[in-house]
Amino acid sequence: MTIKTTLLAILLGASLMACTKDPLSDLSVEDSQVFITNRNKTVNFDQYKTFSIVDSVIVLGNRGSGTSLSDVDIQVLNRVIANMQQLGYKYVNPKENPDLGINVAQIRNSYLNVVSQPVSPYLGNYWGGFYGGGYGGYGYGYPSYYSYYQVNENYWYLEMIDFKNPDRANQKLNVVWNAEIRGSGLFDTQGVSSVIDSVFSQSDYLGISK
Amino acid sequence: MSIVALVLVTSAQVLAQQGSNLYDLPSPYERYTHYLATARVGAAIPIGAFADEYIDKASVQNYSLSVEWILRNKFSVGGEVGQNYFQQRLPRQLYQLGEQEVSAVQTRTLTQYPIQGFVNYHFSGPGAMVRPYVQLSAGGSFVDYTLYWGNLSDQQQKFSFTYGVGAGTRVLFKRDGSMGVDLRVKYSQTPFSYDYVTSGIPALNASVGLFYRWW
Repeated sequence: MTIKTTLLAILLGASLMACTKDPLSDLSVEDSQVFITNRNKTVNFDQYKTFSIVDSVIVLGNRGSGTSLSDVDIQVLNRVIANMQQLGYKYVNPKENPDLGINVAQIRNSYLNVVSQPVSPYLGNYWGGFYGGGYGGYGYGYPSYYSYYQVNENYWYLEMIDFKNPDRANQKLNVVWNAEIRGSGLFDTQGVSSVIDSVFSQSDYLGISK
Repeated sequence: MSIVALVLVTSAQVLAQQGSNLYDLPSPYERYTHYLATARVGAAIPIGAFADEYIDKASVQNYSLSVEWILRNKFSVGGEVGQNYFQQRLPRQLYQLGEQEVSAVQTRTLTQYPIQGFVNYHFSGPGAMVRPYVQLSAGGSFVDYTLYWGNLSDQQQKFSFTYGVGAGTRVLFKRDGSMGVDLRVKYSQTPFSYDYVTSGIPALNASVGLFYRWW
């Protein structure tokens, strides 16, 4: 009788634990991608005719900054140029006073977190904002009472700067549009072009009459 | 004369009762209060504003375990712990979040771990093969709301009040046996408010369970 009750309890316990599953296990690489765009709503993009772009990708992050010009970076820069031309802008040399300047950056951050074991299963997916973060993910450091996990995030950031109307009083250049691209599969040459296309296609207000 | 008749009638009743006591004793489940444990698996359908605003997809990932004390009258009281899990994937859409435009595939999830006390009223006695019942329950529920934008997540966790009403029936596998099947439908509500969820987590839950009773 007692054995049966115990068995029942074990069975239920096991089934309860079994259903704590990863809801993203079936998420495709494309579906993991998130495209976030912002714009200055007071700006009419029809006033801009020309643009230029940085000659390499800026790398920003908590492990240092710099520039990068790998194959995928070149592809991204070219794709941004192609999209801007498609929208009606003229690509010019930075020395020719473009109306708009475009920055392309890779944000690379790495966080080391400490987590106290055991983590209650009732806390569910305790990774919070970084759960399923994508690149490299997490890894436990030490098999002790305290455990460490590392989260790497790596994503694209694009911004468009207004050179035509500089704020001379405050010595400021206004950012009129930006985009953040997050998710998986952002850094392989196969898929990066469509990734860049996505942020432009969801920003149809950028189109100007030629 | 009438006195003799009365004595005869009374003694006949006594004899009849003795006969039934000797050969048809009520089972211990009728004679004593006893315990009953039920393990349930079930399907749940979100309803109301929760279904309209967040998840309207039915879930089959619901489990619970209850233990109760069966009284000799038609009532029983007990406790139940469980897990309910809702999940729905929405195709890529463009969302307007404040001034931002966000294009993403949303994976909406909601997990609940209710811990409740309940009272059952049964329509038949503890010895019956079939015991239909109605149930009132109340307690607390650990709620985890996790909304994934692509593979980024927005999470809110809260311990909240929860309550429910249900109706079900128990059917023994054999008379006076200790095991049987439990069928139940239940309405539950958990006040909760965060982001897409504005008026709690109402759901209809239908479950199939196995019960075991002992004293």
